[in-house]
Amino acid sequence: MFQNTKCECGHQNPVGTVLCESCGKPLDEALLKDENALLEMRYDGVARRSQKANPHLVDRIWNFFSSVKIAVYLIVITLIGAAFGTILQQESTIINLTERSEFAAYYKEQHGTFGVIYHALGLSRTYESWWFIGLLVMIGTSLVVCSLDRVLPLYRALSKQQIRKHLQFINRQHVVYSGELTQDKQEWLDGFAKELKRKRYRVWREDGALLAEKNRFSRWGPYINHIGLIIFLLAVLGRSIPAGHMDQYLTLYEGETRQIPGTNYYLKNDKFTLDYYAEEELASNQKGTKVVKLYETKARLYECTDACDDPTREPVLTEVKQHDIRVNSALAYKGLKVYQNSFQEKVRFISVHATLKDKDSGTDIGSFDLKMNQPEEEYKLGEYALRLIDYYPDFGLDEQTRPMTKSRDPNNPAFVFRIAGPGIQDKGEVYVYFPMPSEKSKYYETILNESFKQRGDNSGRFSIQVDNPIVDGQMNNIEYSAFTTYLNIRMDRAMPYVWVGAAISMIGLIMGFYWQHRRIWIRIDGDKLALGGHTNKNTYGLRADVAGALGKTGIAVDPKTLDNRRNER
Amino acid sequence: MGRYRKPVQYIILAVVLLIGGYAIGNSLFSKSVVLTKGDKPPGFRLADLNNVVHDMEDYEGKPLIINFWGTFCPPCRNEMPALQHQYDKWKGQGLELIGINLSEDKLTAESFIRQIGVDFPILLDKDKKTERKYGLKQYPTTFFIAPTGEIQEVVIGGVLTEEEIDKRIERLIQTKS
Repeated sequence: MFQNTKCECGHQNPVGTVLCESCGKPLDEALLKDENALLEMRYDGVARRSQKANPHLVDRIWNFFSSVKIAVYLIVITLIGAAFGTILQQESTIINLTERSEFAAYYKEQHGTFGVIYHALGLSRTYESWWFIGLLVMIGTSLVVCSLDRVLPLYRALSKQQIRKHLQFINRQHVVYSGELTQDKQEWLDGFAKELKRKRYRVWREDGALLAEKNRFSRWGPYINHIGLIIFLLAVLGRSIPAGHMDQYLTLYEGETRQIPGTNYYLKNDKFTLDYYAEEELASNQKGTKVVKLYETKARLYECTDACDDPTREPVLTEVKQHDIRVNSALAYKGLKVYQNSFQEKVRFISVHATLKDKDSGTDIGSFDLKMNQPEEEYKLGEYALRLIDYYPDFGLDEQTRPMTKSRDPNNPAFVFRIAGPGIQDKGEVYVYFPMPSEKSKYYETILNESFKQRGDNSGRFSIQVDNPIVDGQMNNIEYSAFTTYLNIRMDRAMPYVWVGAAISMIGLIMGFYWQHRRIWIRIDGDKLALGGHTNKNTYGLRADVAGALGKTGIAVDPKTLDNRRNER
Repeated sequence: MGRYRKPVQYIILAVVLLIGGYAIGNSLFSKSVVLTKGDKPPGFRLADLNNVVHDMEDYEGKPLIINFWGTFCPPCRNEMPALQHQYDKWKGQGLELIGINLSEDKLTAESFIRQIGVDFPILLDKDKKTERKYGLKQYPTTFFIAPTGEIQEVVIGGVLTEEEIDKRIERLIQTKS
């Protein structure tokens, strides 16, 4: 379609211009038809940057993203998509499962057929799905393109405004006044300008014409908001870079130190505390129930400083932080955060203080600490030497009735020692020792030692045991963990950028919401005064400004009568 | 501004394509850790029972079997003799066999190995790190790695008989690097 873009004032406007960039005369055909209709003042009537007569492919893509309508659609689709992700639990929140098949089974078990469909559609990973990320990328693109296409022409239009505007431009504003000027033209304009200046307007004058303007900066609010949103979006997308993001779980029994996978840090659980409210602290309807007062993991964070990747040596650890991790009180260190997640009440032996006894003489030869994890292999007790020759953390028998361990955890540990010393045969004597004070363990210990005796491997002279294992119902000479704590370890390097983005976005919103860009144009032709006012919001405020200034300069008007829209009603 | 309009458009669209492509691509390729045929096995550095370090790189270009095992796993225990026999049979032709113990105490692993009479290297995993890297779900799991450095087959669970191992080794040896 051919469009004449040259205004009668002689200014050549780009394609798509609604109001002449120079004099403000309407160019758009729809606006030309009705001379009394209000003007479309969006972006001051300038053309969007990329509007072209013959768009190419790249222009078409650009124009697609430049459309606010498309942006709104994208946002609505993203909202609906995001809502789908909230119907069922997301995969990322399920601990311990990693494989697709495991998740499929989980959703089937938990939610039946609906779960199967939900998982098959990939909605169990909504926020990591290609289409969701794709929508975010498109929104981001739309933000950049929309803003760029509008802010640059708008900036240009606002920074070189013509003071004398076309009469139609003035008379078709929201706030208008026209009348005969009985006073001296220059004097009246001086007074009017002074009044507006007092209201913090900036005033420009040009031979019988005036332009007053205030709070232009509020027009940049939306674009600053968009910059903030773009930073926000980039930060969110940046979380997919593995180095910047971590969300994992670590289980630790009391006294255990483990490396946080993928980091140089080690975490130790010194003690886990589970505390309940006392009966008198509870509300009347809670009496008799157990209400948890405290979940606490006394934790230490270590950094590995030496031998970190040397499998032949134990890593050298340096303590960097100590913290009592409670609900809402995470351990935080250099962007790493450790939260209390869960716990399990499970007794696990850590070490026992065992004594070697000579049954013949009824004397104690000596005692030693025996660890359940990585036990020492040599023990020196007086003249006797104990050598640990086998260790089964969870004793059992295999199909060939060979002793084996049933798991890697010390649920029923069995230690096989070879004892050497005075009065013992050259090859030593072999004894098995079960520290667990259960009947079954002690039964195994007895028959195994008996069979060793029959084979001639021991004389039955020695025994290994813990003295006074139970005192007042408490385990004695036994170090154990009563609880296993589950800690959630998180790192999110994107978070500071998310906050910065959010802050910038907020600044933009405040700029745009709490201030208004107000402009007043005046044109005096002979003794005819024409006044037009425009604001992007709050016309009441602008009308009050105009009526006030007119009143002070001898033209009494009711602010309501300045409203141009009253003509339509 | 006018004459920069086109380049600016192209630059912005290119940046969008780059960032967007990366982000979407990332989400398309799920990060499954389960290794299958054709994958490159992840590297490791582990100590053996004599405290000597073995690096995955030491075995590059050789037909290699990696067997993950634990003394707590009956099928692992049962297939150990078969693995040793096959190792004896094929080591002259360059076969390498590594048993990676599933984070047990050294003593526990060592005494079982002594009982069976295994003489291929037994490496000790720590805190399940290597096991996790290889995405193990069941024990034993055995990886047959061709001289090209690619996994030719993964056998999960179940006891491998001598014939089954033999057949696979033959295929491994035949694969040229």
